[in-house]
Amino acid sequence: MSSHAKAAKKFIADRERTAWHDQALYFVREKRDKMAHDVSEWEELREMASRMKRHTISNLAYYLDMFERNATANGIHVHWAKDAEEHNRIVYEIIQKHGGKNLVKSKSMLSEECGLTPYLKARGVDAVESDLGERIMQLMGMPPSHIVLPAIHVRREEVGKVFEKELHTEPGNSDPTYLTHAARAALREKFLHADIAMTGVNFAVASSGAFVVCTNEGNADMGTSFPKVHIAIMGLEKVIPDYGALSLYIRLLARSATGQPSTTYTSHYKKPVEGQEMHVVIVDNGRSDILACTEHVNMLKCIRCGSCINTCPVYRRTGGYSYSYFIPGPVGINLGMLKSPEKYSGNVSACSLCYSCSNVCPVKIDLAEQIYKWRQNLAPLHLAAPSKKFMEKGMKFVMEHPGLFYPAIKAGRIAEKMPRFVLYNSLDAWGIGRELPQFAEETFNAMWKKGKMK
Amino acid sequence: MGSKEEIFARIKAHGVDQVERPEMTFTPLTFPEPLVQFEKILKAVGANYVLLEKGQDVNEAIRKAYPEAKTIASNLPEVTCATVNPDKLDDPRELNGTDVGVIRGEFGVLENGMVWINQHTRYKALFFIAEALVVLLDRNELVNNMHEAYARPDFDDYGYGCFIAGPSKTADIEQALVIGAHGARGVTVILQHPPL
Repeated sequence: MSSHAKAAKKFIADRERTAWHDQALYFVREKRDKMAHDVSEWEELREMASRMKRHTISNLAYYLDMFERNATANGIHVHWAKDAEEHNRIVYEIIQKHGGKNLVKSKSMLSEECGLTPYLKARGVDAVESDLGERIMQLMGMPPSHIVLPAIHVRREEVGKVFEKELHTEPGNSDPTYLTHAARAALREKFLHADIAMTGVNFAVASSGAFVVCTNEGNADMGTSFPKVHIAIMGLEKVIPDYGALSLYIRLLARSATGQPSTTYTSHYKKPVEGQEMHVVIVDNGRSDILACTEHVNMLKCIRCGSCINTCPVYRRTGGYSYSYFIPGPVGINLGMLKSPEKYSGNVSACSLCYSCSNVCPVKIDLAEQIYKWRQNLAPLHLAAPSKKFMEKGMKFVMEHPGLFYPAIKAGRIAEKMPRFVLYNSLDAWGIGRELPQFAEETFNAMWKKGKMK
Repeated sequence: MGSKEEIFARIKAHGVDQVERPEMTFTPLTFPEPLVQFEKILKAVGANYVLLEKGQDVNEAIRKAYPEAKTIASNLPEVTCATVNPDKLDDPRELNGTDVGVIRGEFGVLENGMVWINQHTRYKALFFIAEALVVLLDRNELVNNMHEAYARPDFDDYGYGCFIAGPSKTADIEQALVIGAHGARGVTVILQHPPL
């Protein structure tokens, strides 16, 4: 059994929660569909956005260099980190230089990837998450289970309990408005007293040397409004050529992510304000190596909208914690394999090959096709399950010998008459949670021979 | 070799085939009745829409929208109902507790209800910390979509700028929409006639 299937067992044990999780995400997926249908040029927009990313990837060094040059001219300090360790060190050195102790940050999957918060904590710097979902997860002591909706798997009563303990809200009150406003009041104090602000970057505009941060809550902007230092961190694939390219992604991002026409705040940071220092840390951490994987280079197009996760029938029914990589769903399966097939191959089975992810992706990444390719390559990587290899060999032999194929189908029908314990036992992973279909009375081949089909 | 050089060396070593920058092959969304669409989309993103007639006073409209407001912060000369000029404060933290902030928007976007705010105040905190935000906008400054927005000749002329579409919101608890996560709990866009 794959690592995903094992972990998913825990999640699906609670049937009611599984159904609720599935519906909550499908609701977001439906909102996305409505937004896409309201824009008549949607498919052409996706196509252009996809090609623009491909163009950018094929000129990555050129645009990164342009961004650095223009950002530097704007007064921004640009840093380069080849891996997570260097990223963490650069961030810590900036904080240390300013004697910072309290950092307030907006959501960044890159900081999760680099393990920044525990790194800073070990050095006496308190990094407070300010996105509500991220803050809930931080107070619960758990990682986010989704890249855009960090607490999508948490019930309101659970939030109420954590807030009761941490923010002293009324016992038993789990009203989302009440809890959100309690977090607003508590985090307002954090914003006002932070000495370092950190944000992620959604897009870095090379032609202007500006970077764009998208939020609904306004937490990134509130965070950067008071401290003297703003550190923005970005993966190097976040660079785009110019505002013409930006218009494509701003139109696609929120519509795909949460089914909104735009995020509430789309903030453009170009120059530090008087008295403030602004830093951008550009991180590689394995991204440049993706360029060498011809079959998977499209992953560098990803704008982290999460629409592939919302639509994925496996994700919706198994939750983010069933995946061993910190990014779940189709995007995470692929990024995990690019990071380390040895560590994360347990996720590639978490896909029914329905291809819905490839169809909703705003930059047309062939997510499902890539998962299929990874599966095909498990055997050469010596990561395939032995039981599956044995079965495949048997199947291949039968398929290639018609003299065996038809008798095998007839024999298969005997299965219908077998006792349950023979068919559904622990040796047969396929039979767990699945029922055999009813076989037709006659095979198509037999009907054809009798002239029943024309 | 520094990290930048190392990263660039890897990018060059793994170089992928050159792909040309794509041309736009479609006509993006346009709206035949800008004011009708703007009212509709502002409502959809949770903002209030006020259309001022010629000769109507902006201060009256602000007062009418927020009759309970005690502190109104603005550096705009025509906003005479302002109780605080935020540019004269020594510290942006002093803006905490502001009931209404009044700022100018450069242009609005019809496809999504965004208004472009170019920072013409000393502290950008004003846009986010006030309980309610009033944005004054010239009714002729409306563009159809993001392509038109970013193609405006003066667009890149900012140090900090923000597109704002309605009040701060979140749905992080069970996908239930809650207005007023961290920023303004209410946004009113007042459309004015251009100055004569």
